[in-house]
Amino acid sequence: MIARLENVVKRYDSGDETLTVLEGVDFGVERGEFVTVMGPSGCGKTTMLNILGLLDEPSEGTVRLDGDDVTGLDDRERTEARKRFVGFVFQYFYLIPSLTAQENVEAPTVFSGGSGGRAGELLEKVGLGDRKEHKPAELSGGQKQRVAIARALVNSPDVILADEPTGNLDKETGDETLQLIRDLCDEGVGVVAVTHDERIKDYSDRDVELDDGVVL
Amino acid sequence: MARRNLVRNPLRSGLACFGIVIGVVAIASLGILGFTLQAGFTQNMGDVANQVEVVPATDTDAGFGTVTSQTLTDREVRDVRRTAVGATVTPVKQQTVDISYGDTSAGRNAYAVENPEALFEADEGRVPASLSSGVLVGSTFADQLEINVGSAVTVDNSSYRVVGVLAEEPWTAPVNPNFNIVVPETELRDAGYSRVIVEEGSASAANETAQDIRESMNRREEVVEVQENSELIEQVRSQQRLLSLFLIAVGSISLFVAGVSILNVMLMSTVERREEIGVLRAVGVQRTSVLKILLAEATLLGFVGGAVGVVVSLLVGGVINHFMLDDALMVLRPGNLRYLGMALGFAVGISLLSGAYPAWKAANERPVEALRG
Repeated sequence: MIARLENVVKRYDSGDETLTVLEGVDFGVERGEFVTVMGPSGCGKTTMLNILGLLDEPSEGTVRLDGDDVTGLDDRERTEARKRFVGFVFQYFYLIPSLTAQENVEAPTVFSGGSGGRAGELLEKVGLGDRKEHKPAELSGGQKQRVAIARALVNSPDVILADEPTGNLDKETGDETLQLIRDLCDEGVGVVAVTHDERIKDYSDRDVELDDGVVL
Repeated sequence: MARRNLVRNPLRSGLACFGIVIGVVAIASLGILGFTLQAGFTQNMGDVANQVEVVPATDTDAGFGTVTSQTLTDREVRDVRRTAVGATVTPVKQQTVDISYGDTSAGRNAYAVENPEALFEADEGRVPASLSSGVLVGSTFADQLEINVGSAVTVDNSSYRVVGVLAEEPWTAPVNPNFNIVVPETELRDAGYSRVIVEEGSASAANETAQDIRESMNRREEVVEVQENSELIEQVRSQQRLLSLFLIAVGSISLFVAGVSILNVMLMSTVERREEIGVLRAVGVQRTSVLKILLAEATLLGFVGGAVGVVVSLLVGGVINHFMLDDALMVLRPGNLRYLGMALGFAVGISLLSGAYPAWKAANERPVEALRG
């Protein structure tokens, strides 16, 4: 298991009320495996993904990356672990508008010595070799998502976490994006995609249903 | 990267920079103005601060108007010389004379000294080491009667050639020849010494000498009155220092306002780039790196604004110096450069300070919060 949640509980305190989003989730993904997490809105999919990607901390339970318990790490160590293991792909892409495609892909590495040409290779790999110098505003939605995927890959992660990767794409570009993710998977990267897009099932190895904070 | 982020919103960055420019210009130009006032003052005062004037003691019973008739005796002059060792001692004789030039004649004070060089400076012609057959004419007097070097004037009944027209002396000079005339000692053979001017190397030495003369000559009775300017000048100087400080304080307020505008810019910019910062944090950029880049942005704003401000201040200072001291390049004196450096340092410091809070806030936001939108 490259990434694993063991009996993870997540509660949010909002004033007097305590909202329990995840109620003891057990979940894992292997290298080279494509897992979709399906479920209705508000069932805790994104929270689960954030905990898996060390953006959020569980209230109870254990998070393991490559077998190591990473639950109690401080911010610096978690950031470091994210950088080493995890790549994120978001529904809204979150590209930096002032930077070119290539610079966006390099962004995660600029504080640690640059990507050494890897950004260019990745853009070619996702089929944007001729768009390296374009700003996000000059790219289509599908192209932006491919830039975002290249960015997720720049630190050579072991697992890619995708939150509604096709949520803002039409059918055709969505299919292209999913095929790209499938290809990455076949190269040995673990993928977790949370979505309510049924199409993703066509590309994934395994589907997990999350409802009311429990994996069904 | 910091530069690019600023260029992304040129109007906002530009305005913040502009604020800093104004602040720096305010501090630096006001500082330069104060410094220039001081320099102008020192220039006008000349070496008056170093001079001590010894005059006969005022007879308190005599009242006004009788003072000028009193003179110092030869013995008293000798006493002054003996006390003020090492200083230039110039006894001055003074008498009212009739001066005629062409058709006009006027009653003026005539001064006679053995070493005119020590007290006077010529605007035209020259001041000889000792006057024997020529006279020196004060600047205002020369202007009024249109007397030039080489003109012949009649003092009482003797005729003299003008060898020099004196430079205008400041009002504070103990012997003020602007409206008057300096004649050979022989002309005033019968007049007494109205005063003795003692010139020392520094204001403090002048002060000491003044004390010495008072103590040695007025021991038994008030023989002489010793007037010195050092105290007065010191007072004026400290007033001016106060004025300079006040001017700088006013400038600092504008720089402070500029700092607030940088605070605002940085705050807006971090709010706007919340998601972007969240993504960077998510993909493994450390908190400290985010902090550094935002601080770099603020510092860059401050530095660019400060640098432009310094250039503008130099121009403004040049203009001030041109009009007040007749030399625009005087702005490059070390005292002024100190103000410029100070203003630039202030600009960068204030930018850094006001950038710190937004940067800290942005860097410490949890990425998951930022990305929730």
